[in-house]
Amino acid sequence: MNSIRADAERRGRFDRVVTVFYPDMYRYAAWLCRDSSVAEEVVQEALLRAWKSLDALRDDEAAKPWLLTIVRRENARYFERKRLETVDIDNLTPAQSALLAETDDPKIDDMRQAIFRLEDDYREPLVLQVLMGHSTKEIAELMGLQQGAVLTRLHRARLKLKDEVEQEAAI
Amino acid sequence: MNASNETMNCEEYREAIAADPRASSEATDGHVALCESCAAFTADMRALDQRVARALEIEVPAFNMPDLPVIDGDNVSALPVAKRSLLSRPTWLAMAASFALAAIVGIQIFGTIPGGEASLSEQILAHLDHEPGALRVTDVSVSNEQFDRVVNPSVSSMDRNIGLISYAQSCIINGKTVPHLVMQGEKGPITLLLMPDEKVSAATKIDGESVNGVILPVGSGSIAIIGRSDEALDEIEQRVIDSVEWRL
Repeated sequence: MNSIRADAERRGRFDRVVTVFYPDMYRYAAWLCRDSSVAEEVVQEALLRAWKSLDALRDDEAAKPWLLTIVRRENARYFERKRLETVDIDNLTPAQSALLAETDDPKIDDMRQAIFRLEDDYREPLVLQVLMGHSTKEIAELMGLQQGAVLTRLHRARLKLKDEVEQEAAI
Repeated sequence: MNASNETMNCEEYREAIAADPRASSEATDGHVALCESCAAFTADMRALDQRVARALEIEVPAFNMPDLPVIDGDNVSALPVAKRSLLSRPTWLAMAASFALAAIVGIQIFGTIPGGEASLSEQILAHLDHEPGALRVTDVSVSNEQFDRVVNPSVSSMDRNIGLISYAQSCIINGKTVPHLVMQGEKGPITLLLMPDEKVSAATKIDGESVNGVILPVGSGSIAIIGRSDEALDEIEQRVIDSVEWRL
């Protein structure tokens, strides 16, 4: 009886933690792998791993970085398993194109494509900072980098995007 | 027009703002207050960031919770019996291998895994997920002071010349504070958890999807060694075991 109650409590806690951060998990996965189908698969795997590891999360306040770390690892595992080739933006699969679905604002569509084209090393810290609201210290911890390296990548990412925006404007 | 600011020039300011348009400090605020072109650059960067934020807000599919298994520690299997360097290991390790053999026979006969160790493996894998900063590829050694603080001489000692130790922290595994060390291996970082109070009955394989490892019974305690899937841990296991001494 106690084990049934404990299991129910565990499931309740897990449900509370992951439903809040599921959009962040999906968006982070999607911008990491640039493929909506792969992102869904990565998130499903991450949820399973998080469920098995839930006892390691001592403070629910720390759930977001904990879940994003698991997503990051699952994404790396996925690509290790599948050995996927790099994305060719001129020859996208439907699942890759889904990420670039048009909005009613062409400027946002252009920016989405520009972000899509960014190298992984630049795109990931940008997503973590702008979308997830992480500090450079948190990004450094998550990516296993020095803070200086994170700042350099963010700086370069924005300058690349700025160049693209200016080139668009000039056309 | 460039401002003459003693602490930050235009280039430094723009680097800081391009890295984080919300950055604000005495130096950045002091510079931008006096530099029109940098003020314009800041406005451009903040506008760019707003556009980036909107672009990143992609549509999220409906939440679909996977079937969550009952947590019963079915993630662990016993270590294969044949280990190349077994004969060169200390007697207690050979004894541990005998226990492993007995465990495997037990599994074959009774179809079960010895209890207790499964949850330890789970906790170790979970801990690695929880401490990604430890898994940094680096050529920088942890300081002697930090190493000595973590590897408490009253509990255990370790010859740190076994390789480049890049990380040392006291961590809680299974409710006990243990030294968590990281050694740089051939393929990447190798995690070592020295667990003088964690007695295991047999060598237990740790099998993550991109990591491999083992919990080895060592005297009255155990040592967990985890590396990348393609890291050859056999030779490292021997070095680690030879370098550690419990002082209980």
